Amino acid sequence: MVPPEFYLLLSAAVFCIGLFGILTRRNALLFLMSVELMLNAANINLVAFSQVWGNVTGQTFALFTMALAAAEVAIGIGIILVLYRNFDGVDVTDATTMRW
Amino acid sequence: MTTKPELNLGSHLVPGLAAAALFVVMAAAILSSTMPEPQGFAEGANITASIGYAMFNLDLGDVAGESFLVAFLVIAITLDVALDGAVHLARREDGSGRGLVADGGRALKEELFGGEK
Amino acid sequence: MAGILDFAPAIVLLPFVSFLVALSVGDRLPKGGAYAGIAATAGSLILSIATVLTVAGGQTYDATIYTWAEGIEAVDLTFGVLIDPLSAMMLLIVTLIAFLVHVFSLGYMNDEGETGLPRYYAGLGLFTASMLGFVVADNLLMAFMFFELVGLCSYLLIGFHFREPGPPSAAKKAFLVTRFGDYFFLVGVVAVFATFGTAAFAGSESFPALAEAALRGEASVTTFGFEPQTWFTIVGLLVLGGVIGKSAQFPLHTWLPDAMEGPTPVSALIHAATMVAAGVYLVARMYGFYAISPTALAIIAFIGGFTALFAATMGLVKREIKQVLAYSTISQYGYMMLALGGGGYIAATFHLMTHAFFKALLFLGAGSVIIAMHHNENMWDMGGLKEKMPVTYYTFLSGSLALAGIFPFAGFWSKDEVLYETLLHGLDGNPILLAAYAMGLLAVFFTGFYTFRMVFLTFHGNSRSQTAQDPHDVHWNVKFPLVVLGVLAAVAGLVNMVPVAELTGLHIEYLHQWLEHGIAGLTSEHYSTLLHDFAGYGEAGLHLSPLIPGAVSLGLALAGSGLAYLLYNVPEPIRHTDRLGRIKQILYNNYYQDEYQVWLANGVTRPVARAANKFDGGVVDGVVNGVSGVSLFAGGRVRRIQTGVVSNYAALLTLGLTALILAFGILGGWFV
Repeated sequence: MVPPEFYLLLSAAVFCIGLFGILTRRNALLFLMSVELMLNAANINLVAFSQVWGNVTGQTFALFTMALAAAEVAIGIGIILVLYRNFDGVDVTDATTMRW
Repeated sequence: MTTKPELNLGSHLVPGLAAAALFVVMAAAILSSTMPEPQGFAEGANITASIGYAMFNLDLGDVAGESFLVAFLVIAITLDVALDGAVHLARREDGSGRGLVADGGRALKEELFGGEK
Repeated sequence: MAGILDFAPAIVLLPFVSFLVALSVGDRLPKGGAYAGIAATAGSLILSIATVLTVAGGQTYDATIYTWAEGIEAVDLTFGVLIDPLSAMMLLIVTLIAFLVHVFSLGYMNDEGETGLPRYYAGLGLFTASMLGFVVADNLLMAFMFFELVGLCSYLLIGFHFREPGPPSAAKKAFLVTRFGDYFFLVGVVAVFATFGTAAFAGSESFPALAEAALRGEASVTTFGFEPQTWFTIVGLLVLGGVIGKSAQFPLHTWLPDAMEGPTPVSALIHAATMVAAGVYLVARMYGFYAISPTALAIIAFIGGFTALFAATMGLVKREIKQVLAYSTISQYGYMMLALGGGGYIAATFHLMTHAFFKALLFLGAGSVIIAMHHNENMWDMGGLKEKMPVTYYTFLSGSLALAGIFPFAGFWSKDEVLYETLLHGLDGNPILLAAYAMGLLAVFFTGFYTFRMVFLTFHGNSRSQTAQDPHDVHWNVKFPLVVLGVLAAVAGLVNMVPVAELTGLHIEYLHQWLEHGIAGLTSEHYSTLLHDFAGYGEAGLHLSPLIPGAVSLGLALAGSGLAYLLYNVPEPIRHTDRLGRIKQILYNNYYQDEYQVWLANGVTRPVARAANKFDGGVVDGVVNGVSGVSLFAGGRVRRIQTGVVSNYAALLTLGLTALILAFGILGGWFV
């Protein structure tokens, strides 16, 4: 059995890589991809603890999370489409009209 | 002539340090914690079947788990809503009513490039 | 008749109802609310007569009608009614004169075609109600409230012809000058509450009784670190501020001559007989409190005597008939204050009564003359009205004889007693009283002179203008009040003929007997005891016959009247007062007191007000604006966090999360 700390470390690393992408990426599609990474990091965590407790709850929950991620991406792509139509590009640093 | 891809380094990477800091903090928390011994699953237990039974509130799986029927139905509705939302967001405003074009873009190509082959 | 005193509040409320009627439906009534006013004052008069008869039978009444603020371990604030001989007498005087003035107003206002009559009768009704409320007040706070109300009504009625420039200005002046005095009065009321815990006039728990007990060592009251005697004097002088303002004594006398801008019936009612009497009545009401303070008494007497002389000199040179009467009013109230300060409580109330009658008579007579002269008040345009207005002439003469103090008219007996009492107590070793007596005596000469100058210029000689040759007619509603008051001015003195009583040994000094009884602590006997014990009046046991001082004052009055007769009772009088030259200038300009007060307001008060305004605008507003300025500035800077770039928001989120986890980790011991 792999000690669960490693899974947690892996999950933290993947999460922070995804977070790095959100903080630095300018392309909206790559932004969405980073969000996907973060969601999947959480899934790793869930499955790891499913093994620790010997329970399928974690894995089932991970399935639901994935379905939710898919739904979120569908809407996200729709939003990017509208963003493209209004700002003539998918650069997130250009769309700054909702400010002071 | 193409150039090789360059790594886009610059000042826009500075916020990324926050992510690095978060990783350091989380790693410190994880490494300094004590975890229980992993129990694992029984030899030969059918995990996939257990997941399936758990989703429908049936207690016939080998491995125990909580029941997710309500979550299942909610996710089903959510996916449905997401589909409709995506279609609505993609709709054009010129009122032609063309929500989704599924002809591979032939009509659009004709419109844009005017009847060329 | 026993329950009549329970109807005492109705005396106050009937005129108030007429006020409401005139205000609400006055413009639909035929005479603009006059009949409502006449009916109400007649009703109050009948009730007052009944009250006087009941009190004559020995009854008194002291009850709290309404507690409008109940104090929890503090003072109670109440409205109450106090009927004793003094207030019953005053009720009768006020309701009688109010009734006669209402009747007179039919002739002066309605028949002359004045507009805005509902407002006039409403003002009269409210005034009558307020004055009656003041008379029956049983505690100092209620008295103060009605004191202010009568001041308000005075303002409203003086400024009746508000579209002309004079009356509103005069109304403002009256209100402001009396208000200045009332400020001290209010401080005095609060001081009374703070010292005694009660402001009631009557009863064993009243503040005069408590003050007396404190000085005799039987009780103790809070005196804020002063000696009880000193503190009571201070409180008495504070209340005196309001009295000086309202009764037009020096230095707050400047408003009364200007108040003549109001209609003449208003002058008769308010500025002759009743409202200015309120100050003197207040001192008489709380005489038990003043009697224990010789300093306050001396000050009152000196102010009174000085004002009597001061105003009499100014009345010598005036041209308009109402102005002479205004200065005469100031002077006569000086006599009443002189009496009160000199220990002559009964003399003061006697003079209050007779003065109310003859001064109201004189003003109404002047009103009749003014109607006749088509509202021209200048005496030098009059003359020869004697034959053309006999009723007015004879009643006016009756009033003038009373004013000058000629035997046997009412004014002689009352003024004589005032001077006699002051002299008697002055000879006990009070030089201030003697000085005040001397001033009062000299004023008698001047009074006789200006009174008869007025009479001869107005009624005798040849007519000096077309209007005087052909005067406007006056009707019964003018003549009836004049006749009633004329008779009273002649006979009212008979109630208290002290010299005759001395001479013949008969007990005909009815007013003495009237005021001797009543509620314990409010009788003239009690006041004599207080004056003897605390102020030293009557200590020497001096016994002076009233005949010689009476003869002296009568002689001076006849001398003054005789001089006026010689100078002015000629067919074509000349302006003899011009011979005084520069003195006449000073007298005519009222010793420049009006200019002095305006200078005080402009030179002293206005800069202070300006500085206070600057402080308010700069410091107080500055602090508030500064607080908002800080808020605006901070907000202006903090809002720049919202850049609109989603990556920035994500960065902030991450930093926040990191910090939070770090904090929880350190506090929760995760990292050890």
